Amino acid sequence: MHIPDGFLSPQTWLPAAALAAVAWTWAGRGFRDQLDDAALPRLAVVTALAYGLGLVMLPLPGATSGHLIGVPMLALLFGVRQAFLACSLVLLLQSLLFGAGGVTAFPVNALAIGLAGAITTRVVFAGLRQFNETVAVVLAAWSATLVAALIVGAVLGLQPLVAHDAAGRPLFFPFGWSVVLPAILLPHVLLGLGEAAVTLMVWRFARVRGWEGAAVPSQPAAGIGRSAEPLGDGR
Amino acid sequence: MKPGPVAALVAYLTALVVIGFVHDPGWLAGGLALAVAAAGRLRWRLLRRSLVAILTFNLGVSLGYLLVAAWQAESSWSVLIRLNLRVTLLVFIGFWFVARVNLLAALRFSPTLVLLATVAAGHIVVFRRVVDDFRCALISRGGGRPPPWRDRLRHAGGLSACLFDKSVTSAERSTRALRSRGCFDD
Repeated sequence: MHIPDGFLSPQTWLPAAALAAVAWTWAGRGFRDQLDDAALPRLAVVTALAYGLGLVMLPLPGATSGHLIGVPMLALLFGVRQAFLACSLVLLLQSLLFGAGGVTAFPVNALAIGLAGAITTRVVFAGLRQFNETVAVVLAAWSATLVAALIVGAVLGLQPLVAHDAAGRPLFFPFGWSVVLPAILLPHVLLGLGEAAVTLMVWRFARVRGWEGAAVPSQPAAGIGRSAEPLGDGR
Repeated sequence: MKPGPVAALVAYLTALVVIGFVHDPGWLAGGLALAVAAAGRLRWRLLRRSLVAILTFNLGVSLGYLLVAAWQAESSWSVLIRLNLRVTLLVFIGFWFVARVNLLAALRFSPTLVLLATVAAGHIVVFRRVVDDFRCALISRGGGRPPPWRDRLRHAGGLSACLFDKSVTSAERSTRALRSRGCFDD
């Protein structure tokens, strides 16, 4: 889903970079508040995990496949701030090392996928958990995928409006919302279902293992996540 | 004289901003030619890598725009040439920067970032190997046939859970390893 270099105008990515800098400061400050010698390695490993989840292929109809974004899982188990920081670092590494997603598009990608995806997951999950936890996890992951895709599509579709020459021809991404939103959202309706299914599987696995974010308060948790270093702050 | 890593990072980031404000295809083509010429022995490898990285997305966008423009009886060539030159130039200088500059050295203004990037990069290698192992296992179990939808979904769930499990233990192990080597005493 993430946007490559050269498709966003500086009028878009420079303000997005400023906004992302504020968001990274917020996420990093929350993280530094609890910075002990376990926090940094934990964030590094969660970053690697976010990268690994991005390699997990999702089956789609027609023998095709997409890949996980992983942010819903990270947000459910580690909280919004860690999920956002980890996702941002992965997007940066991917853009620099593999040319997947651009450096200029990095702030928009991080805000859309990392921050909006993580916040959507936690909000939907918190709102629905009291009714049915399984439905809450599924809808949280599905909504996060769609919200991230919607923001990416909205930003791409904005380009012909904010950056065009004297004749009205686009200078960057050439399609408006009427083309780009259906083109991005429709495949992500399906991808979101795959993301939701895998997130639910891992959520159940995490509960069995007693990992902190997924633990039931009344249930005594035993397992790796309950050892000396807790997984996250649950925010 | 070769610039230092931090100077190269600043130059790269400045180039990204400048290229965003250049809209003349001639200037963009000149910039690309200059960058390719300046890249030295790596130039063809970097150019090939850049073209492969942008192929799918650019081809999709370009063909789509070509069809829309043809349908509306408009000329689309200047838009497409500008777009593809800009994308190629940006991706090329990105790969060039990474190939010439040690990323960890470029991040040395922040020891925290260096530590984070080092540990993350190390684990990424491990996790990629796990993903490859799972993929090979799934393929070998299918006996040459593409695995059914349900198996692939179960595979994705199992692999994700394994990665989570591994990340939890790796985080604790890394912490102990770093602590035992005095990383947190500096």
